[in-house]
Amino acid sequence: MTFSRSDYVFLALAIGGGAACLRQGGLPLVAAGLAEAGWLLLIVLPQLAAGLLLGGLISRLVGREKVAALLGTKSGMKGLMLATAAGTITPGGPFTSFPIVHALWVAGADAGALIAYLTAWALIGLNRLIVWELPLMGAEFALVRTLVCLPLPIVAGLIARALVRSPVLALRKAPAE
Amino acid sequence: MIAAAITIWSIVATLALVVFRRQGRSGLAAAGTAAIDQGRALMIRLPLALLAASFLMQVLPVDALVGVIGPQSGLAGIAVAALIGGILPGGPMTSFPIALVILQGGAGLPQIVALITGWSVFALHRVLAYEAPIMGWRFVALRLAASLVLPLAAGLMAQALLPLVP
Repeated sequence: MTFSRSDYVFLALAIGGGAACLRQGGLPLVAAGLAEAGWLLLIVLPQLAAGLLLGGLISRLVGREKVAALLGTKSGMKGLMLATAAGTITPGGPFTSFPIVHALWVAGADAGALIAYLTAWALIGLNRLIVWELPLMGAEFALVRTLVCLPLPIVAGLIARALVRSPVLALRKAPAE
Repeated sequence: MIAAAITIWSIVATLALVVFRRQGRSGLAAAGTAAIDQGRALMIRLPLALLAASFLMQVLPVDALVGVIGPQSGLAGIAVAALIGGILPGGPMTSFPIALVILQGGAGLPQIVALITGWSVFALHRVLAYEAPIMGWRFVALRLAASLVLPLAAGLMAQALLPLVP
């Protein structure tokens, strides 16, 4: 077990938060925080284990190259829709999605498709919905939020395609592999 | 919550079967190794993140916040909530618990939809740690500009949709 840099950030946040609790409400408030954290951990752990297994299994079935090939040369509305679908099913955190986006960029995907992909992954990603939002926020909230966010990746892709024509926001050429 | 658990574990079982039939035992082993590798990184971070979020929830002025982004706060509340979401640090393990506490404290549902959407698309922490280093600042600027209206749109649509949900 090694501490990474972001672990230290969370450690500092936990210590800072604990100190703030102690100052504001003494030991009872610290205990309340601890109890809350323990309860959350119990709720989240089984779902997290399933999410991690899902990520591992999906990475066996849809490789990074396959996604890039599916989107690389496609464009138009179809490209945006494909990118949205791919982003929705991409599991895992930013450490999986950003390398994929970079690969898509190199493979020739346009700015609209890249941004539709990222927005779909961030907004309506199935993995996060199942692992975090459903168990923590409940079905009603998850349903409403997912429904209203469904068209937004395409909207962002279309806006990006319009913006990219202005020289200020024009994307530089993709780096060669 | 139980329905969600049954759903996700059924999907796990189905996918495991597909992987097993296509790639045999070695495919399953590789999938398991990938899962464990990712899980190991979370083993320290997750408890610390939950602890940090829980402590912060005890001292955050949730009551004051709820007044500003209550169910009657409309577009102004949606805009404020989107802004708060955008600067919320950390991943889903901290943001969802914070959003839950604010929602249970009495904030409006469309406002929390805007908050979650703002956090999802702006995610300051993710931009600094992953997006800018991998994709460059030009891409970040383009994506943020294209995403500016999304949290407002989500909040307003949620407000329109809410009466239709049982």
